[in-house]
Amino acid sequence: MLDLLKHISTPDISIPALMSLRLKGKNSYCGLPTQKTEAYKYTPFYAVLSPDMFQSASEVSHDSCHCHEQSLPFQSFELHYCNGCPHLHFPFIEGVEISSLVDAVAEHEIQRYINKFDCQQFPFAALNTACLYHGLFIRISKTPDKPISLIYHNKHSGAKNVRNIIVIENGVHAEIIETHEGNRQAYFSNIVNEIFIAKNAVLKHYKRQNESINSAHIALSNVQIKAGGQYESYTYQKGARIARNETHILLKEENAGAVVNSAYHINGTTLIDTTTDIEHLACLTQSNQLVRGAIDGHAHGVFQGKIHIEPNAQKTQGYQLHNALLLSDDAHIDVKPELEIFADDVKCSHGATSGDINEEELFYLKSRGIDELTARQILISAFLNTAFENITNPDIKEFLTL
Amino acid sequence: MTHQTPILQIKNLCAGVAGKQIIKNLNLTIYEGEIHAIMGPNGAGKSTLSHVLTGKSGYEITSGEILFNGKNLLTLTPDERANEGLFLIMQYPIEIPGVSFMTFLKYALNAKRKYHGQSELNAVAFMKLIQQEAAKLNISQEMLKRAVNVGFSGGEKKRMETLQMALLQPTLAILDEADSGLDIDALKLVADGINNLQDNRRSLLIITHHQDLLDRILPDFVHIFSDGHIIRTGDKNLALELENKGYADFIKEAQC
Repeated sequence: MLDLLKHISTPDISIPALMSLRLKGKNSYCGLPTQKTEAYKYTPFYAVLSPDMFQSASEVSHDSCHCHEQSLPFQSFELHYCNGCPHLHFPFIEGVEISSLVDAVAEHEIQRYINKFDCQQFPFAALNTACLYHGLFIRISKTPDKPISLIYHNKHSGAKNVRNIIVIENGVHAEIIETHEGNRQAYFSNIVNEIFIAKNAVLKHYKRQNESINSAHIALSNVQIKAGGQYESYTYQKGARIARNETHILLKEENAGAVVNSAYHINGTTLIDTTTDIEHLACLTQSNQLVRGAIDGHAHGVFQGKIHIEPNAQKTQGYQLHNALLLSDDAHIDVKPELEIFADDVKCSHGATSGDINEEELFYLKSRGIDELTARQILISAFLNTAFENITNPDIKEFLTL
Repeated sequence: MTHQTPILQIKNLCAGVAGKQIIKNLNLTIYEGEIHAIMGPNGAGKSTLSHVLTGKSGYEITSGEILFNGKNLLTLTPDERANEGLFLIMQYPIEIPGVSFMTFLKYALNAKRKYHGQSELNAVAFMKLIQQEAAKLNISQEMLKRAVNVGFSGGEKKRMETLQMALLQPTLAILDEADSGLDIDALKLVADGINNLQDNRRSLLIITHHQDLLDRILPDFVHIFSDGHIIRTGDKNLALELENKGYADFIKEAQC
């Protein structure tokens, strides 16, 4: 089995705080999850990861990289990552502090925010900690007038190990768009976002995953939300050979809420895994999850959704639904809902459906002159877009599923 | 009326489902500008006829042919048939969650334009056309933004079908009334919509089992359809005769 620790380059750097974090990660990393690891039983990274994903191209210097000149089709403050290294020329945004992860660790204040999850529970995040170097610290203290975008350009093979710390201060409303674009190279992306939402703050987090079909993508967003805070995430995944988008949310105080919606459209032999773990730790907290997948070819969809409600978290609501469209005979879906409810005054539900395109709907479109292929695409988009109905920014909504 | 060009020619058509013969040696010719009504009891094969004409899957054509504007209709896919000028007004239009009427109409209109080698309409021209046609049918902007037929009343759905017909300008519209009747208001809407389209070039095939609609859209020909074929053809008075006598007499007569 691959020893990933050996494969990820970690520049030596004499910051004791960073070295001690790396050591902590290294000590908690027990190797790749295997077939017997419950949380990974449907998503066999061990079978798909290959050494060529880790062979770095010769060091790519930032000067020769023009990735940062590209931009999204709408107005935003753009932050670029080229093969996992963030560009360190940041736009000026009033009330927003941005620095490199290494600088932030050197300044100690980040200690309140870094590595605030259980490394044992998340093996790839432990690996990410063991290799800490690239990433950004973003603290938003004033509502920005435009969304902030994190744009990942993955053009070379090799491992991309990124840690971002995102802090949304009291009462701030922020929007972050994360986009991952790859070519056909084999590579391994391992992204960890640690997100802190203070009282009455709102973060809308959009993500578009369109990685290389020969790559592996694993991402963890670990989100802590205080009283009245709100986290809304909308993720669209269509790329990678194998990908897991994992969201772990702690609703820590009263009236904290989360919406975790996502959609995926896959073909070929792609495996897309959506895993959520939402912990309701206080009363009057709410969570809502809608995941929709369209699976074609030999592709494989996985949804693991956990809702945990603590005994004191009364009057909470937690809803979860996964709908799949199976578009071929070899399409495959695994759905595993887990509800752990220890309070008695709660409203919770989960559900899962799977089916094919509705023939009557298809015929109706065709009877109006629309060809079969276009009609199917219209119906698939409509099915998936239900997960994004609540997105108020029409540009972002359109961009997400492009 | 002078009619030179046949729009639709059904010749010795036999068709069925899963080995069961439903349409039996049907012959029917519709010329440009004509309105034909096919009336028949439940189970006569009226639905099958409308499905075979529009190309719904699941039907076997065992013999015969159908020419539409001189082309072999049976080799065309449902979307090609529509783009050639065939339009089915459905009794129960399908609801499509997540697809707005506006998007749907744009796809449909541009599909037809593309089929005929025309460029796609730009957003401004499209909006202008939609608004102009929607206003005639008292369809609001709000209705156009909603998902296709979702939560629409029977009357609203019929208005939307009529709007589609007005936009797509079919040469032959098929009104499939096979399952049940419409309320008076919806009936009037469809009839007005169809009458507005009539310019002596468009043809209409009404498939129904009662004559309410035929009071509003006067047919040139009425055919009584039983056991998969036409047993009697007449003018509009045949519909009235049928209303008084019922189907049984005609069927008995045909069997003698």
